[in-house]
Amino acid sequence: MDSSSEPTDTIVAAAAGDVVAFERLYRQFSPRIYGLCLRLTGQREAAEDCTQESFVAAWRALARFERRSRFSTWLHRIAVHCVLSRRKGLRFAYEVSEPAMGLPERADPGSGAPPLDVERAIAALPEGARHVLVLVGIYGYSHAETAEVLGIAEGTCKAQLHRARQLLTAALGLETS
Amino acid sequence: MNNHPDPLDRLIGNLPKEVAPPGNLWPRVAARLSRRPRQATPMALAAAIAVAAAGLASLFTWAVLEGRSVPRVIQTVAVTTSFEEPRDPKYVLARDAVEKTFRERLALLEPATRAKIEASLAVIQRAHEDIRKALAADPQSPALEQLWESTGRDEFDLYDSVVQATQPAMTRI
Repeated sequence: MDSSSEPTDTIVAAAAGDVVAFERLYRQFSPRIYGLCLRLTGQREAAEDCTQESFVAAWRALARFERRSRFSTWLHRIAVHCVLSRRKGLRFAYEVSEPAMGLPERADPGSGAPPLDVERAIAALPEGARHVLVLVGIYGYSHAETAEVLGIAEGTCKAQLHRARQLLTAALGLETS
Repeated sequence: MNNHPDPLDRLIGNLPKEVAPPGNLWPRVAARLSRRPRQATPMALAAAIAVAAAGLASLFTWAVLEGRSVPRVIQTVAVTTSFEEPRDPKYVLARDAVEKTFRERLALLEPATRAKIEASLAVIQRAHEDIRKALAADPQSPALEQLWESTGRDEFDLYDSVVQATQPAMTRI
């Protein structure tokens, strides 16, 4: 079963307190949540922590999940909140750790070197631009949804996406179309 | 979208949405779930409410018979319980029993007073429901969580107020 299908019975059982059912949800959805957290944070350890936090928070809130949205959408929202909460709580550590990725700002156009790995380039983006690019570009959020979940204006969201695209195009040594 | 997507769009679009966690995170998640007495909470809460309701009912009876007031410290048992609203049938039954007792006491009041209390209760319950809906959409909000618990307590506070207000009426029965 892929994470795009909604295991309704399992969700209902987990909401009633069935840990085994909740583990099934974890098995099904954790790769997507980890992927989201990894792209948003740009750090493996932070992504692991946020994935854990997301599922613990989901467990606590599951009794109130009303299925007016998809479970995966609801879980995504929790994960984004966890990432943003962690960022607020660990602001200093989070910000100083990014340069340790060792990624250059851009590929050297004249070096003939292969383009930088796109994942690493995304991880090296400034935080605001990275968050918007990940949500809109990879996970298909609309600008309105992204703006709401990140707590920014929609115009800011669009500007951040433009900025992210410019930085990535440069970092990956891509030709603009 | 055109037939020749931007190279950047193509690269981003090819990224997998799912990435397997490097290790098995479930044991760490599960360890934290077991610390939360999720399944026990409705039972404990139902028991607490049932005990509070039974205690209050007994005290009402005692007070009616003895013509005394209910000790404040015991009254607060019913209003200081921090709680969630689980769907456990036992909790729902206990909750209904408390509300039934409240309704019976409410009936002892003058119609005008009763109408004001019912209006207040409706406001509290509407606020509680609105916050519950907001929490469903934003389950991580600590502010909403606090407001939700606060309105829950407000409802019990109102029950408590009615209990006190009906005390003289009950002693006249």
